[in-house]
Amino acid sequence: MRLIIRDNAANVGEYIGDYIAKRINDFEPTPEKPFVLGLPTGSSPIPTYKHLIKLVKEGKLSFKNVVTFNMDEYVGLPRDHSESYHTFMFREFFSHIDIPPSQVNILDGNAKDLIGECNAYEARIKAHGGIELFLGGIGEDGHIAFNEPGSSLASRTRIKTLAYDTILANARFFNNDIAAVPRMALTVGVATVLDAREVVVVVTGQRKALALSKAIEEGVNHLWTLSALQMHPWALIVADEDATAELHVKTVKYFKSIERVQDEVEEMHAKLRAEGKSDQVGSME
Amino acid sequence: MASSNGLICFTNCLLPLEDGSLVERDLWIDERRGVILDAQRTFFLQRERPDRVIDLGGNILSPGFMDIQINGAYGFDFSVYDGDDEAYRQGMQTVAEKIVETGVTSLVPTIITQERSLYPQILHLLRPFSLPHSATLLGWHAEGPFIQLAKRGAHAPQFLVPAHERFASFEAVYGAQNLADQEDWLMADGTAPDTVGVRIITAAPEIDGVMATVPEVVQRGVVFSIGHSIASTDIATQAAYHGARLITHLFNAMPQLHHRDPSIIGLLGASPHLSTPRPFYELIVDGIHSHPNSVRLAYTAYPEGCILITDAMKILDPHLKDGVHEWRDGKRFVKEGDKLYLEGTDTLAGSVVTLDKCVRNFSRFTGCSLGEAIKCATYNPARCLGIENRKGTLRAGADADLVVLSRQGDVLSTWVRGKEVWTRN
Repeated sequence: MRLIIRDNAANVGEYIGDYIAKRINDFEPTPEKPFVLGLPTGSSPIPTYKHLIKLVKEGKLSFKNVVTFNMDEYVGLPRDHSESYHTFMFREFFSHIDIPPSQVNILDGNAKDLIGECNAYEARIKAHGGIELFLGGIGEDGHIAFNEPGSSLASRTRIKTLAYDTILANARFFNNDIAAVPRMALTVGVATVLDAREVVVVVTGQRKALALSKAIEEGVNHLWTLSALQMHPWALIVADEDATAELHVKTVKYFKSIERVQDEVEEMHAKLRAEGKSDQVGSME
Repeated sequence: MASSNGLICFTNCLLPLEDGSLVERDLWIDERRGVILDAQRTFFLQRERPDRVIDLGGNILSPGFMDIQINGAYGFDFSVYDGDDEAYRQGMQTVAEKIVETGVTSLVPTIITQERSLYPQILHLLRPFSLPHSATLLGWHAEGPFIQLAKRGAHAPQFLVPAHERFASFEAVYGAQNLADQEDWLMADGTAPDTVGVRIITAAPEIDGVMATVPEVVQRGVVFSIGHSIASTDIATQAAYHGARLITHLFNAMPQLHHRDPSIIGLLGASPHLSTPRPFYELIVDGIHSHPNSVRLAYTAYPEGCILITDAMKILDPHLKDGVHEWRDGKRFVKEGDKLYLEGTDTLAGSVVTLDKCVRNFSRFTGCSLGEAIKCATYNPARCLGIENRKGTLRAGADADLVVLSRQGDVLSTWVRGKEVWTRN
């Protein structure tokens, strides 16, 4: 696993935006072989979306051959509701980039057969050959997607009851009316995320500091579902300084040193790739 | 230039919302159906996104302006009918085609008091009308003849009449066939050529029989507007209770604001905490018909009711020079800038200001934002007429009648039902 630390949330967004753009461009996606990208909602990824939009407007990146799968959606909330994740994704991202609507996948929280919807979603991901890069954020309790504390680390896309913490945290989007916050969501599972060839997670703000420490400095634990990332061969966490508040100095220093070496290795591999000697840049630790 | 899937996205623009704010947001329209789209639904349900994207360079994309009181323009006077239907229709078409350069995409042609026999035919001709590339004439606004002699303005005194027979008098003058006897026209597509065209009737409630007609007028979905009147506040309030929904060119052709009886103007001061209804009110914001301070006084008293109008005469034409111009009945106008007098008098004879200039003036006079000024020329008049789902708004499903304005409020281009019909060279 790599941990990249940037000064603030905006710099984190820029870093990840550039990173994803590079991955998509290096992939050279085509209609037959699209780049499959997993996407989150929430406040953390907004700076990343902003930067990706900027790259698209500058002509440095295109989503014409990108297929997206979103992590989750509330159950029973109308698709047009101002807090639905359909609305969020359209408002914050899809309306501003050039992605064809047919290549966007978001779970339907109003499906009659919710279980069928979840299974079909997994099947659709599989049909696309799996997710190339899953971008994620985390909750204060360390949840990734709606995989609340206690979720199985082998979980797949399914119906999920929201933790009371999450309901409280989301109440601010529903006029502080706890009763109005949906109690259920459809979400990809921890295993669905881990199946992606690469996972990139945004962690910004002091409020996420404890979760970050639990996820990377302690053992794999279903009470902090992000910690499952420790089992993933190609994971990247990008945090701002605030989010590192609970980490050991040693941890921070170590990861900072990785970043320097990583740059050197990537440069070397780019050269090898250009010469046709290597086709895979993995993570190095 | 057409979009291959018929959808257009306007981007990099400020949209004036119904609360008067200006927000940076895209707008999607369907140029084939000529309507504004719910972008999110189009994306997720229709699985489409616009093939054509128009970058507006940070300018304002407003609903097209709506002028609910305009007497004529470009040499044509809605009140002049000499028996030639074809010539009259040609005049309507000229106004509808040319007025879009002032940002106006819908208007309510207004006829002043006529010789009685002319009404039925003129009003029949003034049914809703539009061409694919023109503004929409929404129907008619009849100013008079049931108005106060003492406040007649430029209306011919010999044609003013009371309404002894109440609504029957209205029918006798305007023609029963021209007054919808049901509310069907509200539901009908206003662009259909055969719908009844009555929209607004300006009358003085103190004239004999007029007060009793108000409920009947209102019940038919017609806006009763108080104007050319000496009604006291009590009478005006009573008219408002009966359903009067508008005040015709506030401050003009009515008693001035007296503290013990603030007359019609006083309706604006009614407490919003009481149930007294407050009508919308029209303002001619040319800087002449109302002092800028009066404009601001009215607006601060009741911002939600403010409607900007031009009350323009036939010589309205942004390209016309100052000087003496022919009017009607042998009378002549004198135009000096935005001032317009009857020759040889100091009687104001309507105005020659364009609505886009009124919007700019209004923002300057009141200190409100351009977005708030735009609202008074779009959403408020649409609400007054009860057509705010279709005109004067950026709501999904509304007609894609749009005007692109600079940040200073100058008209850069005008769109009607999804097509660009005018652009500044």
